[in-house]
Amino acid sequence: MSSENKDFGKNKAFLIDMTKCTGCRGCQVACKQWNQLDAEKTKFFTGEGYQNPPLMSEYTFTRIKFRDYEKNGQNEFAFYKEMCMHCNEPACASVCPVGAFVKTKEGPVTYDAKRCIGCRFCMVACPFGVPKYEWSKAFPLVRKCTGCYSRVKEGKKPACATTCVSAITYGPREEMIKEAEKRIAARPEKYLKKLYGAEEAGGTSVIYLTALPFDELGFKHVTKRPLPSYTWQALRLVPGIFLTVGSSLSLLSWFTHRKERIAKEEEMRKSGSAPKEG
Amino acid sequence: MTAAKITQVVVDEVKGYHNFVKFLIFLVGAAALASAIRFIFGLGVTTNLNDTFPWGLWISFDVVTAVPLAAGAFTLGAIVHCFHIKKLEPLVRPAIVTGFLGYSLVCVGLLLDLGQPQRGWHTMVYWNPHSPMFEVSMCIMAYTTVLFLEFLSPVCEKFGYHVPLRLLRTIEMPLVVLAASISTLHQSSLGTFFLIAVDKLHPLWYNPLLPLLFWVSAMCAGMSIITVEATMSHKYMGQPDEGELLETLAKILPCVLSFYLALRLFSLFALSEGALWDRPGLTALFVLEIVALVVPVLMLAQKKVRENGRQRATAAWLVIFGVVVNRFNVSMFGMEAPGTSYYPSFLESVVTIGIIAAHILFFVLIAKYFPIFEHHPETVDYSLPDHFHKTDNNHGHVGNEA
Repeated sequence: MSSENKDFGKNKAFLIDMTKCTGCRGCQVACKQWNQLDAEKTKFFTGEGYQNPPLMSEYTFTRIKFRDYEKNGQNEFAFYKEMCMHCNEPACASVCPVGAFVKTKEGPVTYDAKRCIGCRFCMVACPFGVPKYEWSKAFPLVRKCTGCYSRVKEGKKPACATTCVSAITYGPREEMIKEAEKRIAARPEKYLKKLYGAEEAGGTSVIYLTALPFDELGFKHVTKRPLPSYTWQALRLVPGIFLTVGSSLSLLSWFTHRKERIAKEEEMRKSGSAPKEG
Repeated sequence: MTAAKITQVVVDEVKGYHNFVKFLIFLVGAAALASAIRFIFGLGVTTNLNDTFPWGLWISFDVVTAVPLAAGAFTLGAIVHCFHIKKLEPLVRPAIVTGFLGYSLVCVGLLLDLGQPQRGWHTMVYWNPHSPMFEVSMCIMAYTTVLFLEFLSPVCEKFGYHVPLRLLRTIEMPLVVLAASISTLHQSSLGTFFLIAVDKLHPLWYNPLLPLLFWVSAMCAGMSIITVEATMSHKYMGQPDEGELLETLAKILPCVLSFYLALRLFSLFALSEGALWDRPGLTALFVLEIVALVVPVLMLAQKKVRENGRQRATAAWLVIFGVVVNRFNVSMFGMEAPGTSYYPSFLESVVTIGIIAAHILFFVLIAKYFPIFEHHPETVDYSLPDHFHKTDNNHGHVGNEA
């Protein structure tokens, strides 16, 4: 697990304003191109409404989720760009037995395929359901959004943020939160007065602004506490428990065997045939 | 002997086996075939796993359930050697064999389930102490080694290797203590696995005491497995009747079990968060799990049940069933989001059935060829056959002084 940084405000973060999203899916295409991901054979209306592909997968690191709803008697669309949230304290990084996930100091949570043993604990642990598996392969690995770390490292914006004409802003996390709050204050009638990602899972590097309530758009309800702390409160006891159990059992055995040992020594002394060392 | 002759001897030997044993061999063969399919065509084709259910039967049974079922070795080792209830010693060996087989098969199951089994050693190189999986895999590797060393005793006896036998007797106590400590860690850490599944595991099972609950229930499962095993190998394999010893064990079991139940209900009503009874299916599974553990407590509280081999075994079976249901509830049913479900594919089931069959098969074969049940420590001669050691008057008790 990485503890390179504790001040997450300086991390680069996405501010995704879903009210400005037009559902063009340029981000999906840019993501596929930059990460050289294969196309998926899909059909319309296999998922919910117009969204396509229906789900994120080993070939699709981000996708726009469509939601139909009615406003003033008109049919309207609302969108949700699903992607890796790049948590401040990622669950995937904490559970990975080989430390294949790292929260970089720039912000993105990266995955080292060369270390991965394919146990899929990250998939179980991720509260957002982000890591996906190469189910089609005999020796599969995990795939997920890289936060375009290779670009960010060079001072560029991620592919999706570069392509998006309106909805995605990319910059230091504290500035993104300030900007989001400014937008809510400026147009209170337009926005839900909450930020998704500001506190979810202890804070993430993707912040969402929406018009509709989060659960209606398909955002997952996630605890506000950083997930690694849930397991660490048990795991931190491990060395102590090991020593306690080990030493108390040793002590116990010493006492329970003492009687026998004394009796034996006694017997030996009586018979007089015992060697000096016993 | 030539190779052909040896083959002939083996074939003749196998032909002489009971049909049940042959059936077990068939099941193990089928599982080997199914595992081959997994490595050729991949996990997606072989299993019903997907991105929503990344862990299925192979984790739920082959790892999360098999580990507590193999807990008899450390529990009994501690009872006999640390708490010094010496008369139970004849039960230790079968428990160690069960444990060793159990853990070896856990490793097999894990290797099938891993995407990159050839990189299993990575856990030893790239440490991540924040990961319960790291902790469990280190423990399982260490503990399988300990069990292997403990298992060497009957092997050395069989072939009359007295020098290693004496060495093994010397490190017996440290091994017992080590086994109990390592087991405490990984039995509980299997529960820690699911502490990360906040908002995923249903509150009927999710609570911060999960690791402690896993550890205590593992001990119950271990004792029950020993009871069942000794009863069955007496009945079907003509092994000596250990009824009297099992009676003592049957006195310890309900105490631990009621402690578990008290802890379970306390954690459920005092520490769980969220709606408990919102899903009838899960409620039913929860009731099943609790009933299967409450009934044996009530049964074993009565002297006449403890003394009756059949009823005692029934109670033990119920405990095993209760613990198995609990592990499946935690790792499978309780993890399913409302409206979704996972069921194992045909090949997944074949592999798991084969693993269970392999366990029984190897146990039967080991009991057939090695001194497992005949072991009564006071009767074994540990003296060295030469003049290396002159104090032979206290042999057989070397381990007790360690």
